[in-house]
Amino acid sequence: KIQKPSGPSSIIVNTRQKGNPLLPYIKSVPWEYGDIIPDYLVTPTTCMLFLSLKYHRLHPEYIYTRMKSLGKAYTLRILLILIDTDQHTDPIKELTKSTMINGLTIILTWSAAEAGRYVELYKVMEHTPATMIKERQKEDYMSRVEDFATTVRGVNKTDSLGLISMFGSVRAAVNATEDQIGLVPGWGEKKTRRWCAAVREDFRVGG
Amino acid sequence: MDHTHTHDIPAIRLSLPLPYQQEIFREAYNDDAFFIIARGLGVQQIVANLLHAYDTVGRSLVILVGATESDNTQLGEELAEKAAISRAYDARGLIVVNTDVTNVGSRQRMYARGGVFTVTSRILVVDLLTGLLDPTKVSGLVILHAEKVTATSLEAFIIRIYRQKNRSGFIKAFSENPDALSSGFSPLSTIMRNLFIQKSSMWPRYHIRVAQSLEVRKAEVIELEVGMTPAMQSIQNALLQCIEISISELRKGNIGLDIEDWSVDSALHRSFDVLIRKQLEPVWHRISSRTRQIASDLTTFRTILLGLLSLDAVSFHQYLETILASHAPKTNTTSHTQPPWLFLDAAETLFSTARRRVFRGEFPKRSVPIDIADIDLVLEEQPKWCVLSNILDEISRTRQSISSQNRGGPTLIMCHDRQTCVQIAEYLEANVSTSSLLDESHPSRFMTRKFLAFQAWKNDFNLFHSSNAIRENQHQPVDSKNVTLARKAPANKRRRVRGTAQFATTVRDQSISYFSESKTNEANPTKFQMLDDFEEQLDTQTPESLGYSEREFKMHDVDETIVIYPYGTDSDDSLLEELKPRNVIMYNPNAAFIRRIEVFQSSNEKSNDTRVYFMYYGGSVEEQTYLSQVRKEKDTFTQLIRQKANMAITLTSDSNLISDPQEQFLRTLNTRIAGGGRLVATTEPPRVVVDVREFRSSLPSLLHGKSITIVPCTLTVGDYILTPTICVERKSIKDLISSFKDGRLYSQVEAMQAGYQEPVLLIEFDQDKSFNLEPFLDLNTVVSSTQSDLQAKLVLLTLHFPKLRIIWSSSPYQTAEIFEDLKKGHQEPDPIKAISVGLGDGDDASSIYATLPTEMLKTIPGINDKNYKHILLEIDSIFELSNAQESGLTRLLGQEAGRRVHRFFSSNIYSHSSGD
Repeated sequence: KIQKPSGPSSIIVNTRQKGNPLLPYIKSVPWEYGDIIPDYLVTPTTCMLFLSLKYHRLHPEYIYTRMKSLGKAYTLRILLILIDTDQHTDPIKELTKSTMINGLTIILTWSAAEAGRYVELYKVMEHTPATMIKERQKEDYMSRVEDFATTVRGVNKTDSLGLISMFGSVRAAVNATEDQIGLVPGWGEKKTRRWCAAVREDFRVGG
Repeated sequence: MDHTHTHDIPAIRLSLPLPYQQEIFREAYNDDAFFIIARGLGVQQIVANLLHAYDTVGRSLVILVGATESDNTQLGEELAEKAAISRAYDARGLIVVNTDVTNVGSRQRMYARGGVFTVTSRILVVDLLTGLLDPTKVSGLVILHAEKVTATSLEAFIIRIYRQKNRSGFIKAFSENPDALSSGFSPLSTIMRNLFIQKSSMWPRYHIRVAQSLEVRKAEVIELEVGMTPAMQSIQNALLQCIEISISELRKGNIGLDIEDWSVDSALHRSFDVLIRKQLEPVWHRISSRTRQIASDLTTFRTILLGLLSLDAVSFHQYLETILASHAPKTNTTSHTQPPWLFLDAAETLFSTARRRVFRGEFPKRSVPIDIADIDLVLEEQPKWCVLSNILDEISRTRQSISSQNRGGPTLIMCHDRQTCVQIAEYLEANVSTSSLLDESHPSRFMTRKFLAFQAWKNDFNLFHSSNAIRENQHQPVDSKNVTLARKAPANKRRRVRGTAQFATTVRDQSISYFSESKTNEANPTKFQMLDDFEEQLDTQTPESLGYSEREFKMHDVDETIVIYPYGTDSDDSLLEELKPRNVIMYNPNAAFIRRIEVFQSSNEKSNDTRVYFMYYGGSVEEQTYLSQVRKEKDTFTQLIRQKANMAITLTSDSNLISDPQEQFLRTLNTRIAGGGRLVATTEPPRVVVDVREFRSSLPSLLHGKSITIVPCTLTVGDYILTPTICVERKSIKDLISSFKDGRLYSQVEAMQAGYQEPVLLIEFDQDKSFNLEPFLDLNTVVSSTQSDLQAKLVLLTLHFPKLRIIWSSSPYQTAEIFEDLKKGHQEPDPIKAISVGLGDGDDASSIYATLPTEMLKTIPGINDKNYKHILLEIDSIFELSNAQESGLTRLLGQEAGRRVHRFFSSNIYSHSSGD
């Protein structure tokens, strides 16, 4: 049974989270205590469980009962893990496996502040469309040229500008020989060779 | 199985004249060992002879691992030549298997025929895993650049696969870079374990046999310390100040950083930027953007420091202008910040002094051609130039004084890169033609020419900048045929055309000499149209004829030729042998080349003594780098020899275990993994389907080390298929950021979700030696916008794909553990099914795409994750794409996208104002 949040814009926090150092860091969205199964109910379909690895070491069974208690409810189920110990490799390996079985997604954080920010972000971005991560952001011509040129290892912003200012167009820069490119100040031999090889390399390799 | 591991050296002709070379060869032929040889002592010659010995035996299959492209060219030539000389008709020379050999079938046939192969590591590992190349059929491996064989490297993976199946074949490894073995915990034994070699053999310059061989005839070396001009001095000082301030800034922001031993002196001789970057690397994702900016500034400083010595004053100024321009605040973005160092007083000194080396006063800001007489030109010359012409004068005077028979070979000028070669060639040529009116007050013709080119560039550049912020769509496409190829670059072409008679500047690794190149250019005179404008201007300035005639060309006999070369890595050996120079001028110091001269000198007892002029700028980066290089190599060898002595006992006990290589390497690997992995004994060995592109990472090698069968496939969806339901996309932090930025990750996850029940994103942190997950966010530093962006994007991704699971891994080692764990109790994945996931009808699954050009392709406006495949199938390379007709592109991509791609290439940043 899903608890209905009292306000559409607030995060419901399980009372057992009282005293969690991440709470003061939830600043930009309101939150209130409520009687819910998960630790945080961010939206009606998104819930979070919180786990400190230090605590996990002392009570290894705790998180499993909490995961079980969720049952099949909620679409997005986050396990927010705070790395507060150096012995993390084994517990993370084990938690990775059990979250795969129980259908939870792990988010790692390294500080209470970061953890708080994650809780907050899930609320803030509740209705954000995916455009920000779905496609390349519109950029001006020179930035695109920069993106293109700096894909080659060792080529930086200045080199990119030097190249385009010397040759005028991307086509001329692509067609230029090693000798011509080598004359652009800042373009050393290695860089030049890498660039020329990259633009001439065949797309198709294997057979 | 046919092994050629005999201990008799076949009757071939060796081309190793020196005793130490022969000794190394014999040792290499008879024993499996790891040879560490000081730079410049001729590793390539020894390897070439060794490979030739195998080549002549026939029926053997020897594979050269880790060779670079230039190694392949050089060794290929050597082997062909040796085969001809030894009259070894069975010899087939070096067979190169690289990305050009695309066909699986033809590769298999080639391997079956045997011979000496050099195979690109990424292809070799896949061929060994798929069984295309049967490890038991391999007679042996010869490993070049063995210092690069780290535990997680592809080469180590190759050797392990080979050793696992083939215990009797040989492994011989060579390294010319002892410095790489100077850091880390017992680096020598680690590398030897990776190489499966138990014997090491050290050959420093001070080795008694080497010293004896080389001190038979010493070369005459004349050392010339050249002083920097006051302006250069003050630029260097200003730079050092910038560096000092930046470093202390770094120290403030990053408390843990180990830069205590920092001093201005160390800035001069160490690649400090690389050192600092290395320290920051494991925590790169969490350091503040300011720290990141400073780290990249340090690289800029280093480039400027080197540029100060190598570039002429005009080019140096132009480079600084480019740096300024590329950091100038953009009008359309508000967030852009300028690097802090630009606001330092020292930076001001740097920029103004560099400008004053070129001209005084203001640069006229008009686009109309300005008479250069209006500008107060300084055009400071590089001090080395004058020294160089003096040396050349001296040489030619000496030549005239001695008898004609005894003149010896040509004069060879060596410098550190091709850019410098061209510069010297141009300078000398201009200098020769103006020598009659050479006087101190008059700026040289060469510099004037440089300035004219700069002036044209600057005018265009100002124009472009004042109009600013060109939008992609406002561009007027330029007809592809009429694009003036390189606005300024041909200026030098022209010079070269004229200069070839005397200055045959050759580029060996490309086997094009400027001479032959210039011929082709003359056949196509249209390219020089722009240039003629410069020429006209120039000719009115100095009314002396520049005419070059055939007659003049013939007057120079071979011995008076001046040849200018850059230091190559391996080609230098044969260079001296071919040219047999009488005089060598080392324009830049280079420790390895000094030794090559020694080797050459001692190898050719009948030839004339070679005189060496050794030039360097006193108190400069150049000098310091040279000195520390020599010192470091010596120290490293001493250290390695000590390590070798201490290692002897451990190795013999280890060698018992070698009898079971599988046990051996597992044990080796498991000691590195906390917890230790256990083998699961099942009837079906555990299997992971891995995308072939993933072989650049160390994860496949580590999985293989855990006895998981690796099935290399070309996957359209995902990188690793663990079970029939689990599909993993691996991202390093860097990949994660970039694939979020261009939307690639979104479509990858989308595709995984469509094809698999359990889509997984693996976030793999850089391999950290202490195996600690570093904090994502450091509270001591300001939370920058990019960091919060990454977290916000991660949140957004999970919100849109609630079924997506995330594996967080501190290193590839942990990933291997996690993968093994996740596979337990699950079915093995089916490779055939994995390949077909995500393929539409008619898609070709058999081809592999080259990563870099494909990545570049995807950054081009108009190309997206869906349509880029059309390009890959129809067009060969970026080069071809850039010259494609608009009509062809619109046919492939559709109207809008096709036009955008075409415009990306054809837009001319200078012509838009007239075009609109």
